[in-house]
Formats: sequence, C-alpha cells, structure tokens
Amino acid sequence: MIKNYFKIAFRNLWRHKSFSLINIIGLAVGMTACFLIFMYVRFELSYDKFNENFDHVYRLNTDIKSPNEVLHWGSASAPMGPALKADYPQVKEFARVFGYSYLIESNNHKFQENNISFADPAIFKIFTLPFVQGNPATALNAPFSIVMTETSAKKYFGNGNAIGKSVLLDGKIPATITGVMKDVPDNSHISFDMLISESTMEKKKMIDPTEWGNFSNYTYLLLDKSADVNKLQAQLPAFLIKHISEDKRRKGYNYDLFLGPLSGVYMDAVRGAPVNGSISNVYIFSVVAIFILVIACINFINLTTARASERAKEVGIRKVIGAAKSQLTKQFLGESIIICIISFLFAVLLSLLFLPMFNQLSGKTISDNVFSHGYILILFFTAIAIGFIAGIYPALVLTSFSITSVLKGRFSNSVKGIVLRRGLVVVQFTVSIVLIVGTIVVYNQLNYMRNQSLGFNKDQMMVLDFSGDSAVETRAESIKYELKQIPGVLSASASSSTPGNGNPIAYTQVEGKSGAMESLNANLYDVDYDFIPQYGIQVLAGRTFSTDYPTDSTKSFVINEATLQNLGYTSPNQAIGKHFLQWGRDGKIIGVIKNFHFASLQQTIKPLALRINPHNTNVFTVKIAGGNIPATIASIQNKWKSLVPERPFSYTFLDENFNKQYKGEETFGMLFLYFAVLAIFISCLGLLGLASYSTLQRTREIGIRKVLGASVPVIVNMLSKEFLQLVLIAALIAFPLAWWGMHTWLQDFAYQINIGWWIFVVAGLLAFMIAITTVSFQAIRAALANPVKSLRSE
Amino acid sequence: MIKITNLEKFYRTEEVETIALNKLSMHVDTGEFVAIMGPSGCGKSTLLNILGMLDDPDEGSYVFNDIEVAHFTERKRADLRKHNIGFVFQSFNLIDELTVFENVELPLIYTGVPSAERVKRVEEVLDKMQIMHRRNHYPQQLSGGQQQRVAIARAVVNKPKLILADEPTGNLDSSNGNDVMELLTDLNEQGTTIIMVTHSEHDARYSHRIIRLLDGQTVMENIMI
Repeated sequence: MIKNYFKIAFRNLWRHKSFSLINIIGLAVGMTACFLIFMYVRFELSYDKFNENFDHVYRLNTDIKSPNEVLHWGSASAPMGPALKADYPQVKEFARVFGYSYLIESNNHKFQENNISFADPAIFKIFTLPFVQGNPATALNAPFSIVMTETSAKKYFGNGNAIGKSVLLDGKIPATITGVMKDVPDNSHISFDMLISESTMEKKKMIDPTEWGNFSNYTYLLLDKSADVNKLQAQLPAFLIKHISEDKRRKGYNYDLFLGPLSGVYMDAVRGAPVNGSISNVYIFSVVAIFILVIACINFINLTTARASERAKEVGIRKVIGAAKSQLTKQFLGESIIICIISFLFAVLLSLLFLPMFNQLSGKTISDNVFSHGYILILFFTAIAIGFIAGIYPALVLTSFSITSVLKGRFSNSVKGIVLRRGLVVVQFTVSIVLIVGTIVVYNQLNYMRNQSLGFNKDQMMVLDFSGDSAVETRAESIKYELKQIPGVLSASASSSTPGNGNPIAYTQVEGKSGAMESLNANLYDVDYDFIPQYGIQVLAGRTFSTDYPTDSTKSFVINEATLQNLGYTSPNQAIGKHFLQWGRDGKIIGVIKNFHFASLQQTIKPLALRINPHNTNVFTVKIAGGNIPATIASIQNKWKSLVPERPFSYTFLDENFNKQYKGEETFGMLFLYFAVLAIFISCLGLLGLASYSTLQRTREIGIRKVLGASVPVIVNMLSKEFLQLVLIAALIAFPLAWWGMHTWLQDFAYQINIGWWIFVVAGLLAFMIAITTVSFQAIRAALANPVKSLRSE
Repeated sequence: MIKITNLEKFYRTEEVETIALNKLSMHVDTGEFVAIMGPSGCGKSTLLNILGMLDDPDEGSYVFNDIEVAHFTERKRADLRKHNIGFVFQSFNLIDELTVFENVELPLIYTGVPSAERVKRVEEVLDKMQIMHRRNHYPQQLSGGQQQRVAIARAVVNKPKLILADEPTGNLDSSNGNDVMELLTDLNEQGTTIIMVTHSEHDARYSHRIIRLLDGQTVMENIMI
C-alpha cells in the first residue's frame, strides 16, 4: 500500500514538474531560512550554558541612585565581592573581572592587546575554562601572573611550552605566564584573550580595594547549590548598611545590589555585558522564520487545492474501487510529506552553502556544521511536520469530493476554496509588505544615525591610540607639536576617550540653584586645552579651558547642557562659577558647551563634565586636511615611529569609530533585508503558480473573448486584476501592522526618524510592481495565444 | 439479490427541483443479466449510482443481499461496495499515473489482500482478458478496447457478486464493443450478476431482461429469450 502511495506520488510530482518545482523551491528556501535562524536562535540562547555551574553563578548588579535618576549597572565595586564571601557562607566564591588593555612584548613580538581582563583566581572555579598548561587553582594567585588563551599563547610563543615565560606590559612591567587555557567559547558573555591576576592591580595601586563607590568591575558569585537566592537577595540592603557608613551614604553612596542569574546576563539590555545579545532580536527573527515558513506552506496549500480538479477524477475512481476516505487522506498526506522531504534535502544543501555566509554576517560562528547537535534531525522532523500541516487541508479537500459528481465531470473549484486561496495570498503579501516596510525603516534609521549632526567635527579626524601609556602621556605636548609640523595635519589634541568609545561615569556634586550641593552622575572626559576647539564644540556660556588661567588644570570644569538641565538651571549663564566636586577635584564651572553626542544615538545625551587632566589620556585626535590623505597618514606614521618607537602605530577614524556602535543594527538591517527578499520571493513563486493555474483554467474563456474582439491589454488587465486586488488588500492590512511594529522597534532609539507616509508608498508600490511582473508574465502569454488553438483543444 | 421499493431521488439547485427517480421499484435476482434502457435524463445513471452505493436515495428502500442499505453511512457503503460490486464505465476511468498491472491491483490493495496473492490474482485476470502482454503499459498507451478490458479486469479482480456497467461499449467501435459484451456474458455465465445501462438495443440483447425507464419510473420490462 505504502509502495503504491510513493509510486503515484513520485509520478505525480514528475508529471507536474513546474508545480512540484515551485513547491519544492519555496519550501526548501523557507526551510533553509528557518533552519539558519533556528541555529542562530539556539546559539543566542546557548550563551554561558557551557559553564558547569551555570545555575549557581550570579552577577552582582548595582542600581546607583542619585536624586534625579537611577543608573542600572551590571558592575560592582572592588570590596563588594570579598565582603560578600566573608559575610555569607552561601557565597562560595567570587571573581572580579576588570577589562583592560596593554602593549605586550615578548622577545621581538609586540602586540597591543585590547581584550585583557584582570581577574581573581576563583574565576576558574566559577566559569568552566579548562586549562591546557598550568594549574588553574594557583595560576592567578601571585601578582604579575598571566593566563593566556591557546590562540594568544601560540601568537607569542609558538607551539612550545609557554609556562614560566615572561612578557613586558607596556614595555616596563614584567609578568609571567602561569597558565594556558582553551580559547573562551564563542557563546560566552565574558570574553578575553588573556587574564592577569587581580593582585597585580592592587600591587600597582590601580584600584583601591576599599573604595565602595568605584564600580569598575564585573563581580561574579558562585553560590552554594543549596543556597536560597531570594533569601540572600533580601539580606543585601543590610549588607550595604553594615559596610557603608551613614555619613558616606548621605554623601551619595546610595546603592541597591541585585543578584543577576548568569542565564540572564548575556541578554541583559539594560545593565549590559561585555558581550551583549538582544532578546528582542531573537524574538523578531523567530517570528520572521515562522512567517517565511508559513508563506512557503501557503504556496503548497494553494497550489495543491487549486489543482484539486485535476486530481478529482483519480479520487473518484479510487473511491469507486473501494478506497476508504482515510486511505485517500493518507495518500495525499504522504505526497505532501514526500515533497517536504525532498525540500528538506535541498534545504540541507542550501544550509551547507549559506551557513558560512550567515556566520560571517552575524559576526560569530553560530554553527560550523549543519550536521552537529542533531540539528539535522530536528529539521527533518520539522519537515515531516510541515508536510503534515500543509498537507492535511488539501488532503481533506481532495477526499471530500462526491464520487458521482466527480465521475460525471461536474466538478469545479468550490467558492470556499477560492476564497481561502485568496485569503492566504493576502496573508503572504501582508507578511512580505510588513518586512519591506521594516527593512526601509531600519535602513532609514541607520542612515539617520550616521548622518545626524553629532555636535562635533567628525570628518578627517584620525584617532591615534596609545592606551594611556604614561611614557606617552608625559610627552603629549611635544608629540602633538611634532605632529602639527607635518603638512596636512591641521591640529592635534589628547583626551581620555573619543565619542562613541565609552567613558567613565563619575559621582558628582554641584551647587544647585538653592546654593546647596546636589548629586548627579556625570560622564567624564579628561581632555587637554586643544580638545574643545579642535572638536568644534560650541561654547554657550562662559569660556573654554585656557592656559591663561593657571587654575584651569586643577580646578575648572566645563559642563554640557544636559548637566544644566539635570540641575534645573534655565540659562547657561546661571551655572557659571558654581561649585563643582567630582572624583576628588574641587572647583568651579567655567563654561557650558552645547550638547554633543558622545554616545550612540540610541541614548539621549546625558550630563557630561570635561576637565583638564593630561595624566589620564588615552588617545590623540589629529585633524588632517582633505588633500592627499594617504600621504599624510604615511607621514604621521613615520613621525610616530621616531617619536614613540615603543608603541605600534594604531589609528582609526573618528566617524568610522562612532558608526561602529551601530554594527549590531547594521547586521540586523542586513538580515532583515535578506529575509524580506526571501519572503517576497516565495510569495511570488506562489503567485506565479496560482496565476498560471488560473490562466490555464480560463484558456477557453480567453479564447472566446478574443474571438469576440477583446484586445491583448484588456485580457492582461482582466487576468492581472484579481491578483493585484489581493496585493492591495494585503497592503492595507500590512501598513498599520508594520507601523506598529517599527514604531515599537524605534523606541530603543532616543533619536529616531519619523515613519513617513512615503515609506508605505514605496513598500506598497514595490510589492505591487513585483506582483504585477509576476502575474502579467502569465497573463500576457495567455492573451497572446492563438484563440483557435485554445478553442479547438476543448 | 437486489430489491428496491419506492425509491426516490431529487436533485435540487437553488431554484429548481428535479425528480430523478420517482417511486421506482424493481428487483434483480442472483445470476441475472439485466439491461437498463431509456432516453437521456430518465434516471438510468442515478439508479446505477444508487445500486452501486455511490449515492444514497432520498426515500424508499434498497435491500442488497437481505441487508437494508438505503441509509448506510458512506463508510459502511464503501465497505460493502469494495467486497461485492465491480464497476465498468463508458470512459474506462483508469488512473493515468498507474500501469495496467497497478490499476488492476488497486482494488486488491484496498481490500487488504497480501502482495503475493495480489500478483497471482492480477496475472490470472489479465491473462483471462488477454492483455497480459500490456501489463507494464500506461493507459494512454492502449487502444480503447484494451483500456476497457483493463477496466473490466479491474472490476472483476476482487471476484464481485455484482458488476455494474455504465454504457461499457459507448466509447468503442462495434468490433471492440462486441468483444466487451462477450466478456460480460462469460462473466455472467460463470455466476456474476450484471446490471448494465445502455443506449444500444444491440448490446441489450445480450441480457436476460430489459428494464425501460422514463422520467424516473419503470415503463416496461422485456424478458429476452
């Protein structure tokens, strides 16, 4: 019996090649898209699960409260971890992780390493990071100990033993390799190329281990397996009261602590993580995957039911001969499952082909092998399930024919069937148009963010990184002077950060309108005298820093408008001369600058203070002339080599740097575009099938109309109209849906485009034109055919 | 074998109600060969469909082998049908995607006959119909006469007690038509009851009895000698 089903299924597929092809291509492409997205989603949801202690690891999160706002951070201060372990037996281990960068030198190899972390020894007890060489229990105990990943160790020491080898940090601090570990897995939210013992920081006085107010590290806690997290959480307020004095709390040391389970860290959009995912992207792409699959299934349902009349005779005969309805249902279900299995085979091929591209696009190795993790089995069973779901309705339709009418040839497509098919086409195009609108909005927002005036000069600004090397810092003025001698270099400045690259946030107290000191959290830029003029930042009141005022280097602050608003001042002039306290510096506000975007346009501009501090700079910004840029860069490089031979010449451009913040959005937009194209492609395949079928059925009608004098355009119009109406209906449904969806998406951006009516016009026209091309192709062919032929054939 | 009493069947469209069978009564004994004749629209095909349990009557009684089947469910009718009745159509109604062998095999598949037994029985009947040499051909590759022989082979492969033939020679030339009628006569002589709808007086002469219908009623019965 089964053999018979297979036989007739294959023969049927073969006899109707174009229909089979449309079904198989549509389903295969849909399955491929779905499969790739499935692997992506699985990967995103797999973050940190490789850790054996996954369920017992918590990150210590902090809410930092000031009168006007609460900052939700994922970081903690240095004494918190050790104090928690000392106070609570259920806290078994703590590890603090501080991101850092060094110029690392070994023999003749010298690399700027920007993905280093200082860490406590227990990091290897908390996270599952297996060692290749060395002992994880002791590797990070002593100061100046380094554990490298395999890749890094190979870079410095080749394949030989790395243990005991020494390197120089920033050309002057000797350190020893005490361990080599396997590379951190791609699906880890913490990521580093090497770890340096935390005790190194204390030894070098880089942190104050008793300072409760400096949130400079991520603190991870390993709790006892039997620990009650909620109970511990409830004790944290008391913990803070115990350790932070009443006086300090009044001065602004006002925090709440939270235990964030490791499972939520990677997707934590508010508190962030070193490697951060987006749960909304996971949702969006899951929905898109399902939509694409639904579109492909709809093709199958539509084409099969549209063709029902062709198969009605077969059904009738089988019934007469004795087939029970259930046997016929099984037969047709079998056929759809076979189509799905063939599509599955193609989908596997396509996935193999596109997986590398998809990995590259998403910027990580989601999967290096389609066949790993039993993914293929999941896809296979999904394919069979799709065969079942898409096949059940056509099977029921086909088997429900009454024998007598079928055998008399009195069969026609039911009105209900036609309405259903049209409804499903509307669904397909609704989804497609939503995706088109989505793509346009995403790209527009990206474009807007790239081209929005940022409030500073970003063009032809080269950023030279020296990672805060004190040897460079002390010579900053002379280096700047030398650089400015190069023809083509217009100006140079030094600063702690550049826009888009992150900066510290400092607890700040400012004299408010009432005269009392008010607290706020202000972003902090350490700059030199040339920074503000070079960046072209507009001064609204007061003045900028000047060497004419000796106190500027120790007692003066320049603030931005946002700070002003935070304090409730209505005019910039009111703030001038006000008392300002920040991170040990006590002085006055000397100027107010216009807001500029020092962070991504996803965020509103926050309070910012600038101060002169040549001892905390990391980069030079060099403004170059528009002429011969490569030559200028080459000259700068030569000069750098003679001025700072110990450091590599590493530069970026300010605008590129700033736009790097939108990499995630760019990937998102690109994927969105691809999937929109796929959706419309599959929808059009279906439309093509339906249109060709409907024209086929109307061959005789077309012949008669032509004989009666209908012109080709009239017939093309007649045949195309019924489908284009559907696209129109789809557009009307899609527009509000798309508007709502994209409006929600845009809420993540503080600075956003308006979703203009033109976007809908463009999306609608695009869908309409694609549909017209698809349908009219068939219609024109039918209209041009010789009517004598079609009439004779009846 | 068959006894129908006061059988009625209506066809309704939105505006018109047509009476296809009007209080029709008749009976057919086991082993009979009955021809049903009448002009187009007299209800011949409707009657045949009801006799074949492809359709159910609106009113009246239909007793098949002492079982009242008039209001059987479709499932029950299908079950009774596949074991007892074979069909032969004017337009052959072979499945184009299946070969001769597979077409004949199909009823055996649906009645759950094991594979080895199926091969034996199909070969037997193909042999009898003299189309064994065409067993692997598709219906389109055969002449009309050959197709009808395949259709008859398919109708008898399950050894039905009753064969219903709807103008079996309607699409055939006279020579092929005669062959088909000879085949049916042979089957009848071997004990199969046959009810045949026909327009052809020539064909009707092969039967034992002719029932003439007009407007859904029996108007005359001729006993053939």
